[in-house]
Amino acid sequence: MPRPETRMVTLSIDGREVTAPENVMLVDGAKYGDVEIPVFCYEPKLGAPVGACRMCLVEIEGIPKLQTACSTPVKDGMVVHTQTARVHAAQEAIVEFLLINHPLDCPVCDKGGECPLQDISFGWGGGRSRFIEPKRHFQKPLALSPLIAIDRERCILCYRCVRFSQEIAEDYQLVLQERAAHTFVATFDGHPYVAPFSGNIIELCPVGALTSQPYRFRARPWDIEGSGSVCTLCPAQCNVNFTVRDERVLRVLARDHAEVDDGWLCDKGRFAYQAVHVDERITRPMIRDGGELRPVSWERALEHAASALGRAQARVGAIAGGETTNEEGFLLQRLVREVLLSNDVDSRAGGSLSLDLHRALGAPAAQATVSDLEFADAVLVLDCEPVDDAPILDLRIRKGVRRRRVELAVATSRPSSLDPNARLRVRFAPGCAEAFLLALEAAIGTAAGEPRREEVARLAQAAGADAGAVHALADLLTTSGDDVVVLWGERVTGGERGEYAGRALLNVAGRLGLRDRDGAGLLCVPAGTNGRGLAEAGVLPNAGPGLSEVEEAGRDAAGIAAAVAAGDLVALYLLHTDPLRDLPNRGAWEAALDRASLVVAHAAFLTEGIRAHADVVFPAESYAEKEGTVTHPDGRLQRLRPAIGHQGETRAEWQVLAELARRLGRDLGVHTGPMATDQLVAAVPFYAGITLDELGGKGLRWPAREAASAFPAPATAGPFELEPPAPAPAPNGRLRLGTFRSIWAAPEVEVSPALKFLHPRQRAELSPADAQRLKLFPGDRVTVGSDGHSVSAIVALRDGAPEGTVFLETAIPEDSASLLEGPLVEVRKA
Amino acid sequence: MPWNPGDDVISVQRGPRPGGAGGAYRAFGETLRGLKTTFARVLEGPITIQYPEEKVPVYPRFRGRHRLHRFEDTGLEKCVGCSLCAAACPADCIRVVAAENTPELRVSAGERYAAVYEINLSRCIFCGYCEVACPFDAITMGNDYEMSDYNRSDLIFTKEMLLAEPFDRAPLRAEGE
Amino acid sequence: MTQLILFKDIDEPGLATLEVYQRRGGYEGMRKALGMSRDQLIAELEASGLRGRGGAGFSMGKKASFIPKGTMDKYLVCNADESEPGTFKDRELMQKCPHMLIEGMIIAAYAVGANRAFIYIRGEYELQAQILERALEEARGQGYIGEDILGSGHSMTLWLHRGAGAYICGEETALLDSLEGKRGNPRLKPPFPANQGLFQGPTLINNVETLATVPHIIRMGGEEYAKLGTPGSTGTKLVSVSGNVRNPGNFEIELGTPAREIIYGLAGGPHEGREVKFWFPGGSSSPVLLPKDLDLPYDFDSMAKAGSMLGSGAIIVIDDANSVVDVALKTAKFYRHESCGKCTPCREGTNWTVRMLERIDSGEATPMDLDIMASVQEQIIGNCLCVLGDAMAMPVGSMIAKFREEFEAHIEAARERNDALTTAVAPPEALIQGAVA
Repeated sequence: MPRPETRMVTLSIDGREVTAPENVMLVDGAKYGDVEIPVFCYEPKLGAPVGACRMCLVEIEGIPKLQTACSTPVKDGMVVHTQTARVHAAQEAIVEFLLINHPLDCPVCDKGGECPLQDISFGWGGGRSRFIEPKRHFQKPLALSPLIAIDRERCILCYRCVRFSQEIAEDYQLVLQERAAHTFVATFDGHPYVAPFSGNIIELCPVGALTSQPYRFRARPWDIEGSGSVCTLCPAQCNVNFTVRDERVLRVLARDHAEVDDGWLCDKGRFAYQAVHVDERITRPMIRDGGELRPVSWERALEHAASALGRAQARVGAIAGGETTNEEGFLLQRLVREVLLSNDVDSRAGGSLSLDLHRALGAPAAQATVSDLEFADAVLVLDCEPVDDAPILDLRIRKGVRRRRVELAVATSRPSSLDPNARLRVRFAPGCAEAFLLALEAAIGTAAGEPRREEVARLAQAAGADAGAVHALADLLTTSGDDVVVLWGERVTGGERGEYAGRALLNVAGRLGLRDRDGAGLLCVPAGTNGRGLAEAGVLPNAGPGLSEVEEAGRDAAGIAAAVAAGDLVALYLLHTDPLRDLPNRGAWEAALDRASLVVAHAAFLTEGIRAHADVVFPAESYAEKEGTVTHPDGRLQRLRPAIGHQGETRAEWQVLAELARRLGRDLGVHTGPMATDQLVAAVPFYAGITLDELGGKGLRWPAREAASAFPAPATAGPFELEPPAPAPAPNGRLRLGTFRSIWAAPEVEVSPALKFLHPRQRAELSPADAQRLKLFPGDRVTVGSDGHSVSAIVALRDGAPEGTVFLETAIPEDSASLLEGPLVEVRKA
Repeated sequence: MPWNPGDDVISVQRGPRPGGAGGAYRAFGETLRGLKTTFARVLEGPITIQYPEEKVPVYPRFRGRHRLHRFEDTGLEKCVGCSLCAAACPADCIRVVAAENTPELRVSAGERYAAVYEINLSRCIFCGYCEVACPFDAITMGNDYEMSDYNRSDLIFTKEMLLAEPFDRAPLRAEGE
Repeated sequence: MTQLILFKDIDEPGLATLEVYQRRGGYEGMRKALGMSRDQLIAELEASGLRGRGGAGFSMGKKASFIPKGTMDKYLVCNADESEPGTFKDRELMQKCPHMLIEGMIIAAYAVGANRAFIYIRGEYELQAQILERALEEARGQGYIGEDILGSGHSMTLWLHRGAGAYICGEETALLDSLEGKRGNPRLKPPFPANQGLFQGPTLINNVETLATVPHIIRMGGEEYAKLGTPGSTGTKLVSVSGNVRNPGNFEIELGTPAREIIYGLAGGPHEGREVKFWFPGGSSSPVLLPKDLDLPYDFDSMAKAGSMLGSGAIIVIDDANSVVDVALKTAKFYRHESCGKCTPCREGTNWTVRMLERIDSGEATPMDLDIMASVQEQIIGNCLCVLGDAMAMPVGSMIAKFREEFEAHIEAARERNDALTTAVAPPEALIQGAVA
């Protein structure tokens, strides 16, 4: 779907000539001429205007009644007056009406000082009230949820929150109850408003009716400073604005970026900042001494780490976690490759892919952007759950479906929260993306007239999918339009057959003609926040910076675990990762960590792997302290800027890595953060010429720059000849194991006081049919086991889950599904 | 043509030239005239105030050290920790950290109270804007002006110090005085 | 004598049944219409000059012509949510002659090409809903509603939907929201229902009486119908007269009949010894008129010229035994209760007005409050999302303007009464002394 072109029109507002894009509402158009029209209920992000508050009444020549500027599109030659006596009278009237039931408790209200109602009353109000009757009273404050407080007396019923809940997040939890002057905002049935995006209503509220519980009474607008940065808690990399007072982050607000987050934040991004200032955080270096981690001085920790790494020389494996910045990853691979002379460095959880596949999947020509999700003709969500993996993309897809009638297809193993919005839902067995993609490719061929119907049936069966649904999906993708965006999870290319699944994905992309087409392409949701940037910075066993060839490929993450367990490697360097949490196959990692003679970790929290196995722990910076860059899954380099000083004795990671290298006898030549960026840019040909200034506050997509032509071309971009995959295992009374990582499964959520209640415990998601067969009910405690390992879980029924499959969570401290090997497990009532 | 100063000319009155009667008057007469005031004051006796034993009473609207107030009936603090005083303060010497009242711990009458209320008196310029800004008349300027101390940090007055009844150190000027 | 159209056979026993209705010439208009082209039908409706009978008085033919041509899903909605105080004409029509409405809807649906039609009936009209359901069953049985009606190629479904008792759902866009299953709140216009109405499809929405008139127009011909009434307000109108009259009820009149003839002639005028003090010409939301306006012809334009409106044609007569304050308070209270709460002026303005009127009533007000109240009404009028706010502000505003002395006298009297009460309640001093002793 091509993006609408903007034509400019000229109109007159208050006697001045204003040129504004056609069809924007008068409120927005007036801004082009520096005329401000006050609004309460109007918020373009919420979709069509409702015209409820009536604050924006203006006089338009030729129309007898005053018109709401929020719902009147600008037209050529329109003559608008916002300063006539009639308009003033109307505006003053509305302010007077709004204030008659407003408690005016500004001194105790958190919004005071940054309140649109205050500003508009001051700017457009009459400055007096003739209302002498008693005001409306409600019980206050009430907890709308553990995160949000609601004060109904302050509410001016602008409907923003209700519209957000119903039309943006589509959770339909907020409703208006009662009528007339008794109307109030409530949740359906009085349940707490707990939803992944609930916090956005705090920012939307134009008065102090909805306020943040964690921020409650913490600061006033003149006490604080804002500091823009990027949230690195998930791959969506939303732009945020930290509210800082006395060197403490007190709040996180969205920093609207249409190409990244569209101005929304998930609740994890909004409230997990609390983890920056909790007691659980490691703020001093530690060394294992007599079996216990004890705080030591930096000097001692660095010396200990350097000498032990020096002894291990070349027998060191390094893993970088998703929150690692490009610079840290780049320096880590320099440390490992140049100083420790090892090749074993990885940042991917799911196993290594060939360099060629990395190049083919990351090629700028096949790259879709976030906003393409909104303007595409069709979107295929492939084996990822946006609300868990990159929450803000979930809202973007919903927006596309709702406002631009994007045809959405969901092809996943686990039921998705986008299912109700999708035109088509296809389920396949967990881990069978390869077979599914082959089936889809054959089905697209069938739709083009090739006689491959039987092949589709065979492959669909191997994928555990319904052949009819695969055909329908192929039809949908080929007929709805040329701009198709495939949003695929890194899970697709995980596991032993990941390489082939990746090729199958490229074959499908080739069939759909996604390459070299603006507005169409692939968009990967990596497992780690900066998955893409780390691969490009060279934190891969088989690729150097800029996806360049390396002389000798090293071991991938799973290979490192095996080598450490076998004694081939003796030391582990863990940068922002706890393998027991973040990586699959927990059993193998436990064995490896047990055997390793040295484990050096950069960590912010003592998660179980760090607590039990690390020998040296360097305190890791939080994202509010970090300086550097990260790369968004669509290729946008974004800049992290420190909002607060380092907490405790924390030091910057680049500094620690450079210091270790120096102590090991090599100067990496990095003395400031930006120097690391310069080295990275110089080493990655397709980043060439990027400066921090150029990145600025909004970042920069490297695939859109000229230097992108330096991206190493893959030897073949497909189509690949692929052999038929192994069929999905037949359950035979057992269940197939699928795993997922919840949005709330993060150590930051675990330690944030406000979010703690959301931190997940293991649950087994079953289809109602399986539950009936196993005589299980929601809430039952079960043990899920395979080959001697078992985890305990609570049964949750999920409509739309494929039969014969159980889904368990990973990345949680206890009973993580990474303990189980699969692919089949047994579920027994505990 | 010679320049004609016309109306721009300002005539200056000059004193008598030295010497002669005029000069003598200037040397002695004027001096004596000035000394008249001096001698007259001698007759009045000393008016030095023996501070700190004696103190000048201050006017009722004198802006001295701040005071925080409580409600007389309930004993609750009037301050709700709104921080408007801090916003108004041109010297940036007020720091307020608010907290929420709970049924167990009710400090002020509103929803919030000032958990920390500090005024750095070494910075304060006693302009009284805080008093003007306060929506609850919780802070007023008192009449105490004796705030010297040996340590700068001792001049940061905490909420407890500001709430306490001050010593009657500075006498108030009576009506009509 | 007025030529009766809608009420010609209204008291015929059993008119609610298909048999009697057809015997009386029912469904002939439909048969004739199905033989005509859609453009012809709309031209006929425009020629008739029929103006909407629901309150706004917009030309029905013009409205129908706004519905876009094309094959998209189009809707016809009959607004039977007759909730304007004083209006009860649709009730009688639906109760006694439901087929007339159904026939009108079939013709209108055919004219605009709507395949789905709904009757949104007021929740309280349970009896009428039952009668309509029965009539719909009969019409379906005859093939008047369904696939390929009488071989015309036009198909339609017609459902009856009962509201849940909200005045605001008589506002067309709120009605559509309610019909869609949402909270009944008015929508922003534009887009108008003709372009984006029910389920975002083009929708023709008309009042019961308007739709019931359609078969007659088709039968008579638009030109013929336009000869009735006045040039600006053609045809006949059902008028519901209520209030202080001897003979309240529904009457069919030719538009342009003097109001005096309706109130004094048909409705019998006020009771013995009473005089008309003022009257609402078009339901409780129309500005009140005085006895001097009684000789005005009762039609859309004359009423508008007199500063009021014909509205739904509900005349409420108030005689001199009633206090204007009572009437104003009752009116305002109704609208406060029924405001949906969406837009600010209506939500807060109605509430404020009631609070002020209560103070005036109880004598806690001053004449200055009347000024405030009048200005509040001005602040409401024209600034609201829909017309509900105006519906309160206009009559209340007109009452204050026209009966200001009475309001002031009421305030004064109430205050004196209050003073008297407080003095009377205070016990005499002697009694207190006696008690002490």
